[in-house]
Amino acid sequence: MKTKIGFFDFAGCEGCQLTVMNLEEQLLQVLQLVEIVEFRELHSGSAEQIDIAFVEGSICRPGDRERLLEIRRRSDILIALGSCADNGGVNALGSDRTPEVLRQEVYGADLPHLYTETPHALSKLVKVDYRIPGCPIDGQEFLAILQALLLKQQPELPGFAVCVECKLAEYPCSFDYGQVCMGPITRAGCRAICIDGGTHCRGCRGLIDNPRTSPYHRILEEHGLTVEEILEQYRTFNVNERPA
Amino acid sequence: MQQQTITQAEHLPSTSLWRAIQPTEILRFVRSLLLAYDVIGVQKKRNRLTLDTLQDAADLILEFPPDVHSPKKFLFPNWDQLFRFKLDENILLQPETAAAPRIIFGMHPCDLHAVKILDDCLFEGETDSSYRAKREATLLVGVDCAPDEYCFCTSLGTDRIAHGFDLFLHRRDNYYLVQTGSERGRKLLQTHAPEIFAGPEESPLPLQVKQCSNQIQFPAESLPSLLGEAYEDKTWQELGHRCLGCGSCTLLCPSCYCFNVQDKLEINLQEGQRVRTWDSCQFDQFAQVADGNNFRSSQADRQRHRFYRKYKYLWEKHQRTACVGCGRCSRECLSEIEPVTVLNRLFADSSQLPASSPGSEYQPLMAQVIDVQQLSELDRLFRLRLPQTIDFSPGSFLQMSVFGLGEAPFSIASAPDGGQEIELVVRKAGALTQALHRTRKGDSIGIRGPFGSGYSLEKMQDKDLLLVARGRGLLAIRSLLLAALAERQKYGRITLICGAKDIDALIFPSDLLNWHQSGQIDCRIAVKDPQNSWGIPPQDVSYLFKDLDIDPQRTVASLSGPPEMYRQVNPLLFRMGLSEESVYLNLERHMKCGLGKCGKCRINNICVCECGPIFPYSSIKHLAEAIER
Repeated sequence: MKTKIGFFDFAGCEGCQLTVMNLEEQLLQVLQLVEIVEFRELHSGSAEQIDIAFVEGSICRPGDRERLLEIRRRSDILIALGSCADNGGVNALGSDRTPEVLRQEVYGADLPHLYTETPHALSKLVKVDYRIPGCPIDGQEFLAILQALLLKQQPELPGFAVCVECKLAEYPCSFDYGQVCMGPITRAGCRAICIDGGTHCRGCRGLIDNPRTSPYHRILEEHGLTVEEILEQYRTFNVNERPA
Repeated sequence: MQQQTITQAEHLPSTSLWRAIQPTEILRFVRSLLLAYDVIGVQKKRNRLTLDTLQDAADLILEFPPDVHSPKKFLFPNWDQLFRFKLDENILLQPETAAAPRIIFGMHPCDLHAVKILDDCLFEGETDSSYRAKREATLLVGVDCAPDEYCFCTSLGTDRIAHGFDLFLHRRDNYYLVQTGSERGRKLLQTHAPEIFAGPEESPLPLQVKQCSNQIQFPAESLPSLLGEAYEDKTWQELGHRCLGCGSCTLLCPSCYCFNVQDKLEINLQEGQRVRTWDSCQFDQFAQVADGNNFRSSQADRQRHRFYRKYKYLWEKHQRTACVGCGRCSRECLSEIEPVTVLNRLFADSSQLPASSPGSEYQPLMAQVIDVQQLSELDRLFRLRLPQTIDFSPGSFLQMSVFGLGEAPFSIASAPDGGQEIELVVRKAGALTQALHRTRKGDSIGIRGPFGSGYSLEKMQDKDLLLVARGRGLLAIRSLLLAALAERQKYGRITLICGAKDIDALIFPSDLLNWHQSGQIDCRIAVKDPQNSWGIPPQDVSYLFKDLDIDPQRTVASLSGPPEMYRQVNPLLFRMGLSEESVYLNLERHMKCGLGKCGKCRINNICVCECGPIFPYSSIKHLAEAIER
């Protein structure tokens, strides 16, 4: 019997699911080993029991909680897929305002069908067994984690920072180009594609287990950032990880 | 046996060939090599210089700056397949594929030295066959370089190389001299540049020495012993607080090779490969074991381990540092952790004294005058800020220098407080002291020292202190007294007896008045001049002992003055019951060198600057030249 996997989404851009779809050839090979029982982007099926549920997006709309609890109930293993599901992601960057203030700022008028709560990571509401960080996720990391689970192994994420990716790929340091980079405290595993693309790391994969925030902040101060500007760096993807 | 192959390849032929080669001929040479080998060289890719496999000889950049990443990635790659396996048939081993013959064309001397370190470590014991296969299939062509501000190869002797390459290209004005370094290199030249090989023999160059502004300020041979004493040094904690733990230093290091081994499965889960990937001792998990215990749990531990590996452990094992001074670790460290700075600081804080260059022990350091006070008509106090903190005991002295006039010893008049500032008093007399009197706040003067051993504050703890000074002897006594007053509770009664010719000769009149009035000590002053402005009866110092009430068992006497004072006062003290061990004398002489060499401060057979100038009476009483005439 093939392992039954499902894909679900909440508030998010569906870019992580799209990354899975974009695996194309590799995804077809994976289908020799697994059965996709639920994947809105692919087909309309659903299943009573799911071995591995990959859940994208953050929880913020009415009814989201109930639906997530219901997915959790059906799934043996639940995996947070991407930044939004993992830590609230970019959805949570407005968390420093109340939903009412935020709505007023963004939409002006009162639009009841757009009512949302402050976005939450899945782990705020249900037990999350494993996480695949990133905005979007890295397709190869998704495959590696799926492989590990199929072999009943513990999936592991890199414990080191994005700096390692840059050194291995011989990318120039963003700081040398006057850019503030979250790489020194952000979990590796992305092959530093943002730096490769000419920009800096914004921390979409979340912080490493033991981020050295005090030397990191000292370096940012030396590069002319104020305390407020330093905290602002965390806002895009790590609003809940901001140091006090 | 395979190891022997390398040794043979490395072996310098009895006669290295030296041939002139023009840049255009090098291009032709590389073109020919490309037909038979993978040629790896520095080239521009995406606007950055990188070492990579050449497609076209014209892309080769032979002269490149030292910030290009090292050739380690070709000899010891980050993703190195050890074997392949199949899951369903237990484990099926497939032999590793042999490395293709290739040439790294353009390696700086430091990186060639780094290969020797990799050889040391990976051929030692069980030879690492995967490394060996790559190493043996790779010919190394060295080329000269120009160090930048991060390079410190000259401090480690890795700026030049005599062997360990197959060919080396030495830059001359507008051509190169190619030197063969192995039989393989000779054959390479013969086959692929026959006209060069057949060309006239050039005279060999001496080893090409470079210039680096970034330098370790002591002999590299001292590194293991320096670190041996620095295990608990506060430096490691400081580095731990600064370090991001990103591992860039070790990843960029041309000789770091610590690795992890992991399996990478194919998508079908049927087969996979076991690979080794670069690891770093700077990562949190590096020394962690299964139960979560971490044997190097702090970043301070990890940084210390890195330095010890580089400069001590591997040195002791292989008789060379595992650092080649390429500067890559500091060049790309966001926290600016720089080995040269760290090592120089450890050295400055250490007690080791080896001089880095001939005569350096005679070279003064520059101190800044931060305050000048006129104490009397002839005496002037200088407060100096030294380039580093100094440790001394009261009674020690420093040499003060004026370039053009020489140097002279002066007692330190301030207390040893572990800081960088000291006070010295200069009496205007000869040319040197006159010149010192002309220095102003903000000027720099040369200082050397501290030298000598002074009064032992440790031996005076919980004792009553009797301090006796005459004339300039008060300088050393002031240092002692200020130190005692800084921790007043550690000492019993303190009595200061101070004598001078007249009031003007009292060096610190305002200090003396303050002490006299403070009540912290019993301060008695005697001057011989009957017309003195303070109106005290003219007396000799010895007179002040008459009504002195001391407990001889509890008292340590510290004396500082001319010999006639000792001849006068010592008998009084012994009559009061003080032991010969508890009477300390300042026997300053002309301590010219401060190093126990010049002989000018000898008292009979002892050297004052080495053993003194402060001595317990018991240790010098047999010396006729000490206080007798």
